[in-house]
Amino acid sequence: MARAIAPRPIEMSATTAAEAIRPAITQNKRKVWIGRLIGPGLALPAAVVTILFSLVPIGYLVLVSLTHKSDFFFGNRDYSLANYDLVFNRYWQNVVVTVRLGLLASILNLVWGYPFAYILIRRVRYREVVRTFMAFPLFGPLYLAFGLYYILLPGGPLAGLLDFLHIKGTSLLYSEPMTLFGMALFTFPFMVMNVGAALSNVDPMLEEAAKTLGAKPWQVFLRVLFPLSRSGILAGFLMCFGWNIGVFIVPILLGGLPQQRVLSLILQQKAMSQFDYGLAAAMGIVLMFIAFAVTWLSLKFSRGALGA
Amino acid sequence: MSAIAAPSTRRSGFRFRRRWIGDILAHGYIWFWLALFALPFVATTIHSLELPEGGYGFEAYRFAFGSFKYDLLTSFKVTGLTILINLLLSVPAAYAFVRYPFPGKGALLSILNLSLYTPAAVMGLSLLITYAFLFHIPRSVTGLVAAYVVGSYPLMLIPIIVALRDLPMVYEEAAKTLGANRLQSLIRIELPLLGPGISAGVLLTFVIIFNEFLVTLFIAGPNTQTAALRVYGLTRTGFLPTTAALAAIMQLVSFIVVLSFFKFFGSRYLKGTYLI
Repeated sequence: MARAIAPRPIEMSATTAAEAIRPAITQNKRKVWIGRLIGPGLALPAAVVTILFSLVPIGYLVLVSLTHKSDFFFGNRDYSLANYDLVFNRYWQNVVVTVRLGLLASILNLVWGYPFAYILIRRVRYREVVRTFMAFPLFGPLYLAFGLYYILLPGGPLAGLLDFLHIKGTSLLYSEPMTLFGMALFTFPFMVMNVGAALSNVDPMLEEAAKTLGAKPWQVFLRVLFPLSRSGILAGFLMCFGWNIGVFIVPILLGGLPQQRVLSLILQQKAMSQFDYGLAAAMGIVLMFIAFAVTWLSLKFSRGALGA
Repeated sequence: MSAIAAPSTRRSGFRFRRRWIGDILAHGYIWFWLALFALPFVATTIHSLELPEGGYGFEAYRFAFGSFKYDLLTSFKVTGLTILINLLLSVPAAYAFVRYPFPGKGALLSILNLSLYTPAAVMGLSLLITYAFLFHIPRSVTGLVAAYVVGSYPLMLIPIIVALRDLPMVYEEAAKTLGANRLQSLIRIELPLLGPGISAGVLLTFVIIFNEFLVTLFIAGPNTQTAALRVYGLTRTGFLPTTAALAAIMQLVSFIVVLSFFKFFGSRYLKGTYLI
């Protein structure tokens, strides 16, 4: 059957073949041009929306960050770097707290997330169940923080267990460890995603080989697993840091006063209750700069795990 | 070597038990974390069922469906509009990125993804001042939807790009050979095959936007309060069972959407976006 419809070989010299095609090429030139425009044309609406509502606002944010509170709402705005001076001097502690909380929460993520990802990749067959449970952090830190707050209140659902362990729930509340735990719980899936992606590319045979050659478990980790999953660890760490740095609701509900000096919270107060848009914008630029730098690094290390 | 040559029964029994304990520890660790993920939701639900005079009941939910109903409606309306616009923008764009390579593609993709990495508070602030002092548009549904579209658009784009990359050209070529034009092959061949990728994008957008409160806090007006913003506002004023009921309803709606998505499509297409 296949032989019957196979075309007969056409005997034609090279020159005649080229001549036969040439008119088709000139005819197609316009088509090729149109074809080249289709791609950018299809992406154009998305690009326009992004420019209007993402790039222009960020540009305007930079401009506003150079203005002063005193003459913002009047004409003749005076532009200077005074707001940045304020951020780097008077509000420097807030930057430090933000970065500190972000770093510590990301370290927690790594310590807890690495074994989780390893077991998930190597041992667990019921991944659908795991994914379903991991949807809860996806709903956002608001409900997580709210739930954790309620657990620690006297008379909460775990009151009996906490009593048994001689832990006073209210002493955990409004503290740094609790804030860190809330942040880490929210960003946990990001770490598992990145580390898991790296670990699933590591051949289990390599571990077996190391074990056969007499390596102890910690040696297998240090010499085999860690070097091979380093890119995933870095990408996950930086991605978690990028999310943790914009933390807002967790310190409100679970943090004490020192934790509530986080940049996004101060920024919101400055903008929405003191109407000091210049200072708020300067804080926003600093925060965004840290987040972008970190995300850029993480994308570089994850080798396009996000499909970008 | 000697173990292979003459395995003693005692030693292999010990090994078996050690492996058994290792299994319990490993799976126990996983389930410990899964329990922690679900714990806040469970606690919130229990709290919402508590009655002021003691005991349990659905009293709080009766209050929840008073004025909260309108916030929920606003939330559904805004989320639906965002998903629709996201779809209209991202299907052509994903098609362009995968099927029509053009110069500057990588840069454009990075710019589109930019808003995904902007901290929400910064995004809210930048949109607040832009709406108020540059575009001069009042606080409205339009502004809210525009902000959501920009913020959640990459979440839609990435799964579709991933699905489109996995789709071999063979089907399109076959359609073309059989006489279909570009539009016909897109509608009848590719869109159905891209279904799971597109619905993964829809799911992510829904879950993120439905629960978004931080950008909303900056740019929502008096008539555009969403349900998530209402919950946020209430958590700042006190921890009543009614607040817990609202939070439980929000989580329950989101969770049902996620579960039904997993049931119909599986979680494969969410790979690389949030879940492993």
